Amino acid sequence: MTKPQVSINAYCRTLRLLTSLRLLPIVAVITLLIGCSTNVTVNGDYPAALVAKQPLSVGLVLDDSFSSYRFTSEKDNRQPVTMALGESQVQLFNRVFTDLFQSSATLQTLPTGQNTLDLMIVPEITEVQLATPMETQLNVYEVWLKYNLKVYDGNGQPVADWMMSAYGKTQSRFLKSDEEALNQATVMALRDAGARLLTGFQQIPEIRQWLVNRQAPTKLSQRTER
Amino acid sequence: MRGALPWLLLSILATSACGTSTRVDEFRPSSTLLPLNSDEKVVVVGRRHSGAYETDPDFINCIGTRLATRGQLSVMPEQQFLDSFYPWFEPRMAPLGLKRMGGMLEDPLIGKRVRDLGIRYMIWVDGNIETTEKSGAISCAVAPGGGGCFGFSSWDKAANYEAIIWDIGKLGEKGRVQVDSKGSSYLLAVGAPIPFIARVQGEACEGIGTRLQSFFAPAGPGSP
Repeated sequence: MTKPQVSINAYCRTLRLLTSLRLLPIVAVITLLIGCSTNVTVNGDYPAALVAKQPLSVGLVLDDSFSSYRFTSEKDNRQPVTMALGESQVQLFNRVFTDLFQSSATLQTLPTGQNTLDLMIVPEITEVQLATPMETQLNVYEVWLKYNLKVYDGNGQPVADWMMSAYGKTQSRFLKSDEEALNQATVMALRDAGARLLTGFQQIPEIRQWLVNRQAPTKLSQRTER
Repeated sequence: MRGALPWLLLSILATSACGTSTRVDEFRPSSTLLPLNSDEKVVVVGRRHSGAYETDPDFINCIGTRLATRGQLSVMPEQQFLDSFYPWFEPRMAPLGLKRMGGMLEDPLIGKRVRDLGIRYMIWVDGNIETTEKSGAISCAVAPGGGGCFGFSSWDKAANYEAIIWDIGKLGEKGRVQVDSKGSSYLLAVGAPIPFIARVQGEACEGIGTRLQSFFAPAGPGSP
């Protein structure tokens, strides 16, 4: 995993240490003087998948809201967190689709009318949840991502609507900054999303049914030819 | 004499404190040492399926490094292994038992990758380190003329890990090692805070690494 491109906010960790040493008055004064926030541009490396390619030609529709997705959490009882997730999730989805399907094309909008693609998939991130170190009492973040994958056939007819959730947690307890810890948790959640996509795609009942229906005419024509 | 008293107390504390006790238990189904050919590798992987804790990758690296340097075994780094087999050993997918592992190896892609990389043994490590008790308090003050801290704080840490050795070639369990390590750390503040930190995780790594190493036949040109 590469180091996140982050604005390191070292004093936030110092504040936590001071709090643990019961230096609340000093903490209070410093907190009044300067606010705390965690800003991360998620940056991870996603490996090639060890799976058999599906003999399908697929269009992956990544619109601007997905490509430049940014999550901001401003709960009253914790420091604000801003997470630029778009670029990294585009990287992951491109990687997964390239490895999972025989042919994969990235599109910006859903094509109208008939085309040469077997399936078109439009992912959308519907929910992000965070558990911060204030809640976990360690420099450990937990990240939950929820995606909605809308699957259409080549004619633009809906095939499946797949809700997929993923989870990641900071693994190293001794990371130097909040940003590194949050980046690691988010990259783990994205890896988990990739694992779900790779292993779960064919398990979706609607997709399975679509694959069966798609193979049926082929088998029928083969039988007729004989 | 009076001036020397704090230093004497400090020295006593430094030598007597931060004590770590480590207990290592093992189970061997056979006394035969595990053979490892020169083209075969061992991989140490952390269990991460539990929601309550994560087996720290640094701890896994510590064991791997120990096996590689002291045991002279060929060890594949955990991250390299996880990336090579993505997504099959991600927390959601990793096999918890040998039966499931056997099923995975029947997949031609996974089986071929195992053979290509020469992975013979997998060592699964499960566990974590936690702070069990905290006590004391330290106060600090800042004044125009300077500042300082005064007080005493202590905390206990306990590490509990279990390692299970799987023979991927013959699909069997070849041994288990369990380590319990406990230690107390102190922070003494007389002006400036002075920490005395117990090496609980380091001791656990040393304990489990040394014992795991003893399961394997020494590597050498004549190794089978």
